[in-house]
Amino acid sequence: MAISSTAATIHCWNSDYRAALSPPSSSSSKLSYLSSLQFPRQLRLLGVQNKGFLSPSQPRTLSLVEAKKQTFSSLDELLANSDKPVLVDFYATWCGPCQIMAPVLNEVSTSMKDKIQVVKIDTEKYPSIADKYRIEALPTFIIFKDGEPCDRFEGALSADLLTQRIESTLKVKH
Amino acid sequence: MTTGTLQASISYGVGFAISSVAAPPRRLRHRHVTLAKAEPTDKSVEIMRKFSEQYARRSGTYFCVDKGVTSVVIKGLADHKDALGAPLCPCRHYDDKAAEATQGFWNCPCVPMRERKECHCMLFLTLDNDFAGKEQVTVMTNFKAL
Repeated sequence: MAISSTAATIHCWNSDYRAALSPPSSSSSKLSYLSSLQFPRQLRLLGVQNKGFLSPSQPRTLSLVEAKKQTFSSLDELLANSDKPVLVDFYATWCGPCQIMAPVLNEVSTSMKDKIQVVKIDTEKYPSIADKYRIEALPTFIIFKDGEPCDRFEGALSADLLTQRIESTLKVKH
Repeated sequence: MTTGTLQASISYGVGFAISSVAAPPRRLRHRHVTLAKAEPTDKSVEIMRKFSEQYARRSGTYFCVDKGVTSVVIKGLADHKDALGAPLCPCRHYDDKAAEATQGFWNCPCVPMRERKECHCMLFLTLDNDFAGKEQVTVMTNFKAL
């Protein structure tokens, strides 16, 4: 999903690094969770996490954030298995503002890695999930806490604003 | 039957070959194979690009400072035009795209845009918008799709 040209020209939203989601070239970055319940359809969700311990030995000048493709049998399973609140980004390939959010989500995912897990869902690949949460405008972000949606907002926003929003949502529950 | 086997293996092979091609000229409908997102036709992209320029002028709106965004949305409109016959807004999720395309509310230019100059795709931006550039012309920029 790397849009290097877009990421390079957006100066107003993030810092200068071009941390795009790395292409899934190495199989070592793919993790499959085998659950005892084998569902016929496997869900591929793009989980954006800071995988510092998976970083290769060669020196990197870019951020360590990598897209990690995880296989879950359902979004519910992912939400249930997560030990942190989850920010879900509902997007579509041809949605401009959704593309803007790619580097923003990388940045926020890195800076808030202990506080929240970031997950992206392609609404065209998983329309049933989008229907379930009544997604309309894209991008839509839903913050899940303890498996339940507790905040929801639409539209592209800067890393600062997104961070603020996440923090204020997470504070409320405490 | 040798012929039957040959045909089967050819179609199997073609299926794989298509899946490894980066930008096939035609949109593919094989849902059970994971493919890279197919690109809209050049013709539709050009039609939607021209439409965007005309409509920006007519509505007094401007394109985003980041032309990558503009390009993505134009391609999204072209993709829907190819698939549905109408440029349905690419920045929305729909229960039934075909029905929506027929109904027309979200066909570009959508009703919110026509009535209030609201374009959440960030394609047509009013001058007071932080992300509005100064241009009503655009060229397609290359980018890597999701």
